[in-house]
Amino acid sequence: MAKTALYNLTDGGLQASLASLFRSMLEQGLVSAVMAPMRLSPGGGVMQTLVTDPAQMDMIDLFAPSFPLNAARLVSRLSKKPTGGTVAVVLRPCEIRAHVELVKLKQGSIDDLIVVGIDCPGAFNNADYGKIAADERAGFTDTFLSAVLSGETSFENGLQLSTACRACVHPVPHGADVSIGIFGIDIDKQFLLGAETEKGEGILDALGLSVTEAPDKRDAVIESLIATRETFRNEMFEATHEKTDTPEKLANYLSGCINCYNCRVACPVCYCRECVFVTDVFDHDPYQYLRWARRKGKIRMPTDTVFYHITRMAHISTACVACGQCSNACPNDISLMELFSMTAHATQAAFDYEAGRSLTDDPPLSVFKENELADVVEVKH
Amino acid sequence: MKPKIGRALVVGGGISGIRAALDLAETGYPVTLVDKAPHLGGILSQLDNQFPTNHCGMCKMLPLVERDAGSQYCLRKGLFHENIDIRTSTEVVGIEGEAGSFTVRLKKQPDFVNPETCIGCGECTNVCPVEVADDFNAGLGKRKAVYLPVPHMMPNTYVIDPAACTRCGECVGVCPTGAIGLFRQGRQDFSVLVVDDEYTVRDSIKEWLEEEGFSVETAASGEEALELLTRQTFKMVLLDIKMPGMDGVEVLKKTKEIFPEMAVVMMTAYATVETAVEAMKTGAMEYLMKPFDPEDLVSKVIAVYETQEASKGEQISAGTVIFCGGTSCYDPSVGKNTFGYKQYPDVVTGLEFERLISGTGPGSGGLVRPSDGKPVEKIAWIQCVGSRDLQSGSDYCSGICCMFAIKEAMLAKEHGPDNLEATIFYMDMRTPGKTFQRFRDRAETEYGVRFTRGRVHTVYQDDKTGKLLLSYPGDGSKRIESAFDMVVLSTGQKPASGAERLAEVGDCELNQWGFAATEPFSSAETKKAGIFLGGSFSGPRDIAESVISAGSASLLASVTLHATGGGMAEVVGDTPEYIDVSHQTPKVRVLLCECGSYGNVDLEIIAVSLKSDPAVEDVLTVPGVCTAEGWDALVKTAKRKGYNRLLLGACMPYAYTRRIKDLGAEVMLDPSLMDVVDIRTPWIISTDGIPNASATQQAIIRNLKSGVSRLIGIDPLPKSSVPVIRGALVVGGGVAGMTAALSIANHGYDVALVEKETGLGGNLDWLKNTIEGWDAAAFSENLQQRVEQHPKIGRHLNSTVISSFGEVGCFYTTIETREAAPVTLQHGVVIIATGGGEAGTEAYGYGKSPAVVTQKELEQKTFSKEIDYKTIDTVAMIQCVGSREEPRNYCSRVCCASTLKHILHMKKENPDLSIYVFYRDMMTYGFTETWFTEARRAGAVFIPYTVDARPEVMVEDGASGVSVTAYEPLLEARVQVNADLLVLATGIVPTLPVSLANAFGAGIDDDGFFMEAEPKWRPLDSLKEGVFACGIALGPRSITESVATAQAAAQRALRILSKTALSRASVTARVRHSLCSLCERCIDVCPYGARSVDIDMQRVLVNATMCQGCGNCASECPNSASVVDGFFDGRMLDMIDMVLD
Repeated sequence: MAKTALYNLTDGGLQASLASLFRSMLEQGLVSAVMAPMRLSPGGGVMQTLVTDPAQMDMIDLFAPSFPLNAARLVSRLSKKPTGGTVAVVLRPCEIRAHVELVKLKQGSIDDLIVVGIDCPGAFNNADYGKIAADERAGFTDTFLSAVLSGETSFENGLQLSTACRACVHPVPHGADVSIGIFGIDIDKQFLLGAETEKGEGILDALGLSVTEAPDKRDAVIESLIATRETFRNEMFEATHEKTDTPEKLANYLSGCINCYNCRVACPVCYCRECVFVTDVFDHDPYQYLRWARRKGKIRMPTDTVFYHITRMAHISTACVACGQCSNACPNDISLMELFSMTAHATQAAFDYEAGRSLTDDPPLSVFKENELADVVEVKH
Repeated sequence: MKPKIGRALVVGGGISGIRAALDLAETGYPVTLVDKAPHLGGILSQLDNQFPTNHCGMCKMLPLVERDAGSQYCLRKGLFHENIDIRTSTEVVGIEGEAGSFTVRLKKQPDFVNPETCIGCGECTNVCPVEVADDFNAGLGKRKAVYLPVPHMMPNTYVIDPAACTRCGECVGVCPTGAIGLFRQGRQDFSVLVVDDEYTVRDSIKEWLEEEGFSVETAASGEEALELLTRQTFKMVLLDIKMPGMDGVEVLKKTKEIFPEMAVVMMTAYATVETAVEAMKTGAMEYLMKPFDPEDLVSKVIAVYETQEASKGEQISAGTVIFCGGTSCYDPSVGKNTFGYKQYPDVVTGLEFERLISGTGPGSGGLVRPSDGKPVEKIAWIQCVGSRDLQSGSDYCSGICCMFAIKEAMLAKEHGPDNLEATIFYMDMRTPGKTFQRFRDRAETEYGVRFTRGRVHTVYQDDKTGKLLLSYPGDGSKRIESAFDMVVLSTGQKPASGAERLAEVGDCELNQWGFAATEPFSSAETKKAGIFLGGSFSGPRDIAESVISAGSASLLASVTLHATGGGMAEVVGDTPEYIDVSHQTPKVRVLLCECGSYGNVDLEIIAVSLKSDPAVEDVLTVPGVCTAEGWDALVKTAKRKGYNRLLLGACMPYAYTRRIKDLGAEVMLDPSLMDVVDIRTPWIISTDGIPNASATQQAIIRNLKSGVSRLIGIDPLPKSSVPVIRGALVVGGGVAGMTAALSIANHGYDVALVEKETGLGGNLDWLKNTIEGWDAAAFSENLQQRVEQHPKIGRHLNSTVISSFGEVGCFYTTIETREAAPVTLQHGVVIIATGGGEAGTEAYGYGKSPAVVTQKELEQKTFSKEIDYKTIDTVAMIQCVGSREEPRNYCSRVCCASTLKHILHMKKENPDLSIYVFYRDMMTYGFTETWFTEARRAGAVFIPYTVDARPEVMVEDGASGVSVTAYEPLLEARVQVNADLLVLATGIVPTLPVSLANAFGAGIDDDGFFMEAEPKWRPLDSLKEGVFACGIALGPRSITESVATAQAAAQRALRILSKTALSRASVTARVRHSLCSLCERCIDVCPYGARSVDIDMQRVLVNATMCQGCGNCASECPNSASVVDGFFDGRMLDMIDMVLD
């Protein structure tokens, strides 16, 4: 990280201090708007909210373990064409990485943005968050943070963070202009502000923060967190592989699919204006269904479900950031994240590519190399 | 495409012939392309891999604009273009007339197999009892007398080798379509008159000949014979001499008076031999001695019959002729044959090696010893077999063998076991192409190919191990002996076997090396106006150089046609009109060829099955569509209305391209709505070797259903086109730029010629003459005058291009002229001819002593007589200064020839002058080798060095000369040369500004030269259509070579300029804007630069002319917003689904 500063908490703790940080960014005119997770009403849920009025910054709740959608989709909407003002967008690391992929796909830009990344403590899946935080939403985030930072993995009623978050090896933002660090920091007293870009440094300077090194223990804390996550992830890959390594097993794995396409809507990098599966390409003639049924005597309806998932895998494997929103969106609880992140991990490794790593790495399928993947194409060179 | 007046004849259908024919056809001229072989492709049909890419790219020669006019499949399989009339097995036997109107006589080998009806099933080959050496596999392996000349050819028509065929007739019986037996049919029309007073004689002759299929009439006397001759037509007379009444000689005289051409064979007993001789003088063809063997007589008659058949010849008119006769390979078995070729089976030629490792070769691609089939572990290549060899009469370098040996060694490393050792024995490793030196380096460093300098004299076989023993010189006087499993002889190129005769027919000359002679500064012009040369017919050439010289020849041919009034004037032809069916529900009519019932399939059942698809309107049958009657029946059926898509189930779909077009015009249905499905090939389905009719039937149904599915999805869009501004921009006014400008302007199109200097001429400002003794200065002067006087050429001196935008057909380019306001020019194409200059150097004491000069300075000082060679004693020359090593790791092609030119000049001025040349490899490719020989004869000493041990140069203060020391390998000692003059060959660097290349979207390679679309097959094009380059901008080359590239580039440009608009091909990509997310990935992956984004309209646009329909965009697009017409995803899925049924 290029430059860091420790931000000492004011009265009211972490949430209030963060609110005041963004408030002053708006007041000083450093940004025209801030988009951040915010409570919609004192007892309501948390959702990304675009704020222009400094006075309405109080309900900000950046670390709520609620992840209703991957905000890269929203940022794409804000930045696809000139925005008409600078917007600070507060994002989890997986949201930043998805946005990087979308920028490379010309679905967004970073020109008018100040990307503010947070150290991500993870989130529950939607259903679990609803259960666990039903009664005391406002105070829940603080309770959750202190538990998760002290190493707690199991919460009330034995609930755990979403599988995607437990398998996430990118808990710290990368590629943000400004980062907000909590790992290895005493968050009762302070949080860490970092600047990775010139834009970010400009913000830190303007806020008059003096440069301070991050506490020594921070790196070790992050390292150990990632190590735990990696172990979990690899076990998850192994188990998923075992469940899907033949066409029959794969069909079984996906047997609950009803072609609702929620996963494709929730996926931040599924960027098509209209999915090919709802275009004329898959608009079969009625007699086609009968032909298929005749071929084997029966055919599962709706058709094209496994085909749909395989196609989506082919389309997004190089851009998948493993945020888990596909699983979150599935009405029939298919473990899509496990399957897609496993495939994406292998695909990206094959091309020495990592989704969201850098704006300058060309997406593998847009680059032609005459001699590559020799083991796949079996050409001796 | 509308045809133009003025036909061109191209003789030879190898690479250069195909290139020349396509070039002219694409500019709109009708072309007749003849080849004496039964197939096109020349030697390339035998080569699977070509250096330096080590794969094939022949199809890249196919038309890129107006693609629908020609075939778009593998060019090694065959070629089709609507303007090219292809005549295989045909030779040119006479050319009369002059440029603009030649009358050409063609002679075709008789077709023993009718190509119209042969379906390529191969039954004939199975039964043929005759086996001969297989030429396609370079003599390795066997083939039958009836055979497929090239296994991958389309259409796969079998041919009969008349020399090998015994006429046993086995094949005739098994041919399912009766395609063989034409010769019998022909024999019936060949009527023979037998005249003999003896009944038994004439009757038995009649019987013998009728058995062979001939028609025979008999006459018992001279009078009767003459009577018959006046009443009936005969092709031949067999005439007895001794007859009562009018004798044979008398009959002969009378016959010859009426029919001077009649073939008459006299029959005589011994006693009248003298009379027979007399008869010969009167015009008899031959005489047969009685009593004769029936076989002798019959074979005589057959010979006369076949000669007459063969000479049936046809006359065509052509405005111009291009000879692309190619070369032949040196046969190492002639002469002393010290390598034991044909003696030891494991000694093979380069071509044989290529066949051995080919998948279609005799061994199906495995690398094993021909002698015993054991794996090969050590292979040696011996270079310069039949090249650079005065003993075999080849005082020239074949130019290609070094590169193909390197390629073969790399292929051997790939095909062979991991421990395979590949060694190349060479004198000079000649890598004079742009990327060749790096190719060689890669072979050495990455592949581990060994390069050993030294000429191998003899190959012996070790009797015990069967291995081949080679002895070659080591350092100094040492000789090394080594054993190999296989030896490959890198045999050189010889003049084509028919070169002499073809030159005679065309009234052109051969040069001292036996190749067709060219005019100064041209690789294509002959002494005879209107007759040009393409490819290696005029000297050894590799593929790229052949393609270039063919382009040069076609340009000159085009100029001839234009200038002699054949012109570019368009003949008004009917453009077929089609009924608009775009808003109709697809209704498919399926026509099944009844030949299909041959495989015991039931066409009724097939029809019923097809009709279950609601889109199928009706299924009808037609008799054998490959016959004329069958086709007529088909046309009649197709004329019955009630459908808007037509699917024909027949065989050989690719053979129908032209017929479908004609049919479309006749029934007014767009040919893209018609398709042919092969219902014959599935016949091969068999169970345990027995044809399985029901499985076959299912396969046919699947294929037809898939075809129906494809047709349903075709949505005929109105044809759009891209208009063409018919003018060219040429950047650079050197010899290449001037030649390109003149070549285009001579066709009547405007040319803007931009030159940054104050005058034209480029390097010919200082380069005064060539090694051949040609006057370069006068040549340049002449070009400049013609450019200046040309009304169609606008000159922009002191000018540079500052920006350009646009695409093929319409570019807007702004040029800035010193002391003037910038102007913007509009043009349809651009040719970049920015040239290059001599590279600078700081090596070998350059700049420290006036005695050290570059080649350019030497040329200038020689011309200005600043150096007096009579007053100096010693000259040293160092080759490859900064060349052929990184970062300038390419050969500059001209420096070695320049060195020799100067040596010969200096030696002429002062024969006592000592000249020492320090070189790495003398790159005297082609005929330049002769001057290398001459320079050594004149006494110049050539000392090789390597980059690890370069010559060292000492410059002492105050001394007038310099001293050069280097290791001399023959003496095994360091030698010191005190030279009065040291000449450095620094090579050529390009002067192509990056900004200029970028402005036109052209690529630049690592060395700063123009990046060709493909180094061998498209050596003048940029990947972006409409942008071409020539001369040194492409890579180092001589004046003659630059002229050839300029003409060839102009020819590429004329393909576009010759049209007012370029029409969209039927297989072209387009964007469905409502689905497009504008991610622009399709733009990144389009190899032709045909896509762009329109920011204002928020749309991705496709230039329909630049698009080649490759489908990269459609594959990259995740949601089928990009589609390729004719290959829509939904339909493709259905088609695949149908064949899985």
